[in-house]
Amino acid sequence: MRALWIMTFSDLRLNLRNRSVLLFALVIPASLMTVLSITYNTGEATGLTGSQSLSPVSVAAAVPEGDRLGTTLLTALTHLNDLDIDVELTSADRARALAGSGEADLALFVPEGFTDAVRAGRGPTVSTVRADGTGAEVELLLSVIGGTLEQFHDGALAARAATAGGVPAAELDQVALQAALREPSVAFLEGRTSSEQLSATGALVAGQAGLFLFFTVGFGVLALVSERETGTWTRLCSLPLRPWTIVASKALVSYVLGVASTGVLLTVGILLLDVDFGAPLPIALLVLCAVAAGTSLMFVVARLARTAEQANLFQTALAMILGLAGGAFFPLSVSGPLDAILDLNPVAAFSRGLGITSGGGGPTDLGAPVAILLGSAAVTAALSLLLPDRGRAT
Amino acid sequence: MSDGQRSGEDDPARASEGAVLLVEGLVRRFGDLTAVDGVGLRIEAGQTYGLLGPNGAGKTTTISMIAGLLPADAGTISVLGRPMGPREVEVKHHIGLVPQDLAIYPELTARENLAFFGRLQGMRGRQLIERIDEVLDLIALSDRADDATKDYSGGMKRRLNIAVGLIHRPALLILDEPTVGVDPQSRNAILRSVEALSGEGMAVLYTTHYMEEAARLCDRIGIIDSGRIRAEGTRSELITLIGGVDTIRLTGAGPVEESAEALRLLEAVDKVGVEGRCLTLTVHDAPTTVAQVVTTAARTGLALDEVEIVRPDLESVFLHLTGKALRD
Repeated sequence: MRALWIMTFSDLRLNLRNRSVLLFALVIPASLMTVLSITYNTGEATGLTGSQSLSPVSVAAAVPEGDRLGTTLLTALTHLNDLDIDVELTSADRARALAGSGEADLALFVPEGFTDAVRAGRGPTVSTVRADGTGAEVELLLSVIGGTLEQFHDGALAARAATAGGVPAAELDQVALQAALREPSVAFLEGRTSSEQLSATGALVAGQAGLFLFFTVGFGVLALVSERETGTWTRLCSLPLRPWTIVASKALVSYVLGVASTGVLLTVGILLLDVDFGAPLPIALLVLCAVAAGTSLMFVVARLARTAEQANLFQTALAMILGLAGGAFFPLSVSGPLDAILDLNPVAAFSRGLGITSGGGGPTDLGAPVAILLGSAAVTAALSLLLPDRGRAT
Repeated sequence: MSDGQRSGEDDPARASEGAVLLVEGLVRRFGDLTAVDGVGLRIEAGQTYGLLGPNGAGKTTTISMIAGLLPADAGTISVLGRPMGPREVEVKHHIGLVPQDLAIYPELTARENLAFFGRLQGMRGRQLIERIDEVLDLIALSDRADDATKDYSGGMKRRLNIAVGLIHRPALLILDEPTVGVDPQSRNAILRSVEALSGEGMAVLYTTHYMEEAARLCDRIGIIDSGRIRAEGTRSELITLIGGVDTIRLTGAGPVEESAEALRLLEAVDKVGVEGRCLTLTVHDAPTTVAQVVTTAARTGLALDEVEIVRPDLESVFLHLTGKALRD
């Protein structure tokens, strides 16, 4: 055991003297976070990122005079939050003309006897004409009109049910109105734990942390390849050491460097970009598992590479591919079997885990990402034992 | 100090009169190639043994097995009476290996390199500090001990490479061609350091393809070629092996191969080696033969630039035994 510590501390000291480690583990990630911080803050200030404001919409509406539900429909449109709507009540012909000329974004036609038809359940038709070249605002308005009409239908059904149930005629309007204007009692929000919890900035920080992890862990394990080249490997093998001690010391160095740099990167991201990844304990668990996965993968690289230069190339390619697929540069969304495959990517699993922790998840909620990370570590470790050592063959 | 941390100096077996290293019938194959074929040797305390042979003769493979880096296909190795192999950990305390390639960390200073390898050999505290100073003195690097070794000259790095192998006072020091690519001044310093080691009672196994190094340093020499020890003994014993054989070297321009063929037909010529424009002949009595040799060479059209008579040395022995020059 003494030899293991001696080699580990010596390697760590060498790595600290080596500016590449400081560059990859600290300087580049911290600089990147700073640049991202400036970009995001500037973007939000100028409206380039974040929520876009909606343009005002003009509606030319042809509604029969005194039609209660027609008027209610117009009221629902004019009371929408975040959307400035200008409604002009006019005739059907003029409404059509205004939409045709582009003076109005939307023409709305409510038929004669609309309220009675709804109450009787006859399914009256409300039609619209959309001006050319209109955008998302009109889409939103059409959705609201559709939703409101659905509510009218529900109100009419409720009123008919109330009539059948013996509710006095004087109270039927109130029942119908309550049914029509009700707030939904159950909300349904579709989404995945990772994507729904991590903000765009948080996802980027998590992905970058995963990406740089694969660079940092290389400084420990891949030293095996350079030691083979420089001759110190031969000398170490001639010393009175168990062979596993040398390999274990490199793994330990990778692990320490990986944990330290990922910790620093996440901390910098939290401080500079105001990202909330949640409680420290589950985050630490994720970092430990992710570094284990990265370290194991480096042993595969060490087996495949004949030279230190080749090892660096393999490592860079691997880090970039996994980082890209894991959302280190931009969110990646695919469906089907490919999605399941991408989920097995350690960087993606790490980001997903951070999504869970940022939503308040604890260690017990991290089952899937932790299983993927540790499974990946086990599989690649086994693979590195099975693969022939190409470097030693040279 | 625990058994696992013991350095070679206080081991009772080392003080015994038995061999420090005993190798018998060592064989190593790489596919169809037999790199080492039945090598045997014995080195006692305070003795320097030279393994002399050209590149590819099997020297490095032999010492790789002795140092426990490679398993042997057949044969036995024992160090201080204990079996040696890749899985034998404890016995490695008694061996110091100086690989042919530099095996030091360039980012560390000489003192840090020595401390690192010393600690891995189980040394610590004052014992380690004193030994580091001692070894730095021996290789004349005390004044640069705290500089990063990446700033050292090639010769200084070579000397430190040797010092690392010595740090734990091994019973057996194995040096694999330690002077390859070294300037004459550093080479001389290295040879002086190795000479001093046998005075400390250390057994040294020294591989080289420089005949003069083997002649200067080694008490006994094994001549190795194609994986086999061709002859073994002291320098004078080896020279005696070839009787009164002398060497004549001819350098010239013209049909070298034709001249070699013609010279081989002469009764007084034992062997002829060709290397570029140089013909190396082994003859029984150079002074009486040289005239006939020069005439024959001239008759084949060889325009001679230089004729040299060399009295028997290890290179002559090698040529006599293998039919080729050491540089081949």
